[in-house]
Amino acid sequence: MNSRATGTRGVRIYTGVIGAVTMAIALVPVFGSNYTKTFVMQALMSCALAASWNLISGFTGYVSFGHSAFFGIGAYATGIAIVRGGMPAPIAIVVAGLAAASAGLLFGYPALRLRGPYFAVGMLGVAEAIRVGVTVAEPLTGGGKGLVLIPEDVLTVAYYAMFAVATATVLVTYRVATLPVGLRLLAIREDEVAAELNGIQTTRLKIGAFAVSALFAGLAGGIYAWQMSYIDPGTVFAGSLTVRAIAMTMLGGQGTVFGPVLGSVLLSGISEALWAKFPFLHTALSGVLIIAIVLFLPGGITQILQDRGWIPRSRRL
Amino acid sequence: MVTLVQVVVSGLLLGGVYALLAGGLTLIFGVMRVINLAHGEFLMLGAYASFFLFVRLGLNPILSLLISMPLMFGVGWIAQRLLISRVVRAPLLTSLLLTYGVSLALTGGAQATFTNDFRSVPFLSGALNIGEVAFSVPRLVACVTALVLTGAAQFFLARTRWGKALRATAQSADVALACGIDIDRARMIAFGIATALAGAAGTLTSFLYTVYPEMGKTFMLKAFAVIVLGGMGSFPGAFLGALVLGVIESTASYVTTTQIAEAVIYITLLAMLLLRPQGFFGLKEA
Repeated sequence: MNSRATGTRGVRIYTGVIGAVTMAIALVPVFGSNYTKTFVMQALMSCALAASWNLISGFTGYVSFGHSAFFGIGAYATGIAIVRGGMPAPIAIVVAGLAAASAGLLFGYPALRLRGPYFAVGMLGVAEAIRVGVTVAEPLTGGGKGLVLIPEDVLTVAYYAMFAVATATVLVTYRVATLPVGLRLLAIREDEVAAELNGIQTTRLKIGAFAVSALFAGLAGGIYAWQMSYIDPGTVFAGSLTVRAIAMTMLGGQGTVFGPVLGSVLLSGISEALWAKFPFLHTALSGVLIIAIVLFLPGGITQILQDRGWIPRSRRL
Repeated sequence: MVTLVQVVVSGLLLGGVYALLAGGLTLIFGVMRVINLAHGEFLMLGAYASFFLFVRLGLNPILSLLISMPLMFGVGWIAQRLLISRVVRAPLLTSLLLTYGVSLALTGGAQATFTNDFRSVPFLSGALNIGEVAFSVPRLVACVTALVLTGAAQFFLARTRWGKALRATAQSADVALACGIDIDRARMIAFGIATALAGAAGTLTSFLYTVYPEMGKTFMLKAFAVIVLGGMGSFPGAFLGALVLGVIESTASYVTTTQIAEAVIYITLLAMLLLRPQGFFGLKEA
């Protein structure tokens, strides 16, 4: 392996790059237009969703096709707490995050006993069941017509909040990846029975990772609801949210720290460009893009860069 | 009592069409361990094929199956050859994401070419009364057609040489290969048949419901519930599951509302997964 990028110099370069990017994102609200702010905030939301999906599915290999459930729960819990409970938005969002995490525990406990395709289909069912449930519970949720929150101009504050959630998700991933717990989760992905035989408490770990993953998705959903001030079941429980998160994680590299970040930046940019250039073919081209990622970059960009020796094979990445 | 019979009858009629769609989905899962998220879009393509054949040539939808099914078989064959075959041995996520990409590409392509307009095929109407129970004629015709096609597929799987090859590939691809079965071809045939069945289900839904690019989504989720009920990978299981789900759906929408009935479907799916993940006749280990 080419060791050009390893060693202290390499570490300094990465720290520099991460610092510069963080600064740039932090300064967008100061210099950027509303369009830029909205776009970067969307990308940050995608990043939070991708990174939180990666925490459970990228590490343990349990493919959750119902990640949007937690985003939607976060969004609705925030909406209901603000509109029906009169709670101030920041508290409502925290409550919503906790609600999503509890839902993660609640569904994770039975669902994570299922393996492979059964888990994937099961989570798809969970997300749909919750979507229909929210639609039916009209007195509380406003039903299919959606829920109108108090409209406020909170774009800048919400932007920083989303930035904080995305950063927190990545930091937690970094902690997980560099601690033994990350290895344990990866062991579940490689061979769950063997992991268990080696004394790893797989059930507890899986459920824990699932709840943390749900927490961040819920927080992102809450901030989304606050900023949009209107939510409806079709949007916040959309399966496309889950699939975007999955595609981004796969593009960047599953089970890595920066994979979801890289993937969400690239895919957000590409999809925005496609949207601007081919508004009518946008959906079809997104599909083709996903097909291309699966066929040509199954291990993600991180793996390719590592294979070429441009970045070190470190669990810190 | 009459109402009860009526509800069960409409449920069974509904179930026939589900069986057609779910049968293909479960066949693909059984033979390849691939969950085909684009299956609903194959239904949509079949529906459009029949719609256009009806509008342009005035072709009877049931007769149009003779054209659309071979066409859809070809679509499936090509999809398997060009795309799915590359991910059969890959981790589950890879094939899920790939088929989702296909689903998006087909939905988006349909939106761009056929527009988002709701279309329908005005074919058959009215009801047939036997005693006090009414059979909706279009549903009856759809269900009978579905039963004939499902029966034919079952006959192919159970009684023919290639059917045997498909079942062998499903049991163990490696052993099948060692026995001299062309498993790549078996997989293409399986995918082709599944797609043709989904297309036929589309034809039937084209005169029962409306045709639009995103029509596949709801049917797709019901098909998932069906194959979980019947046991993923089991063709007869899917048939039984479809009838059961049809009756559950029609009873639930009679007792409550259509929306709650939808929730009941997902709850049935989850309950079955938790209590008996292998379904009625499914594989113990996937």
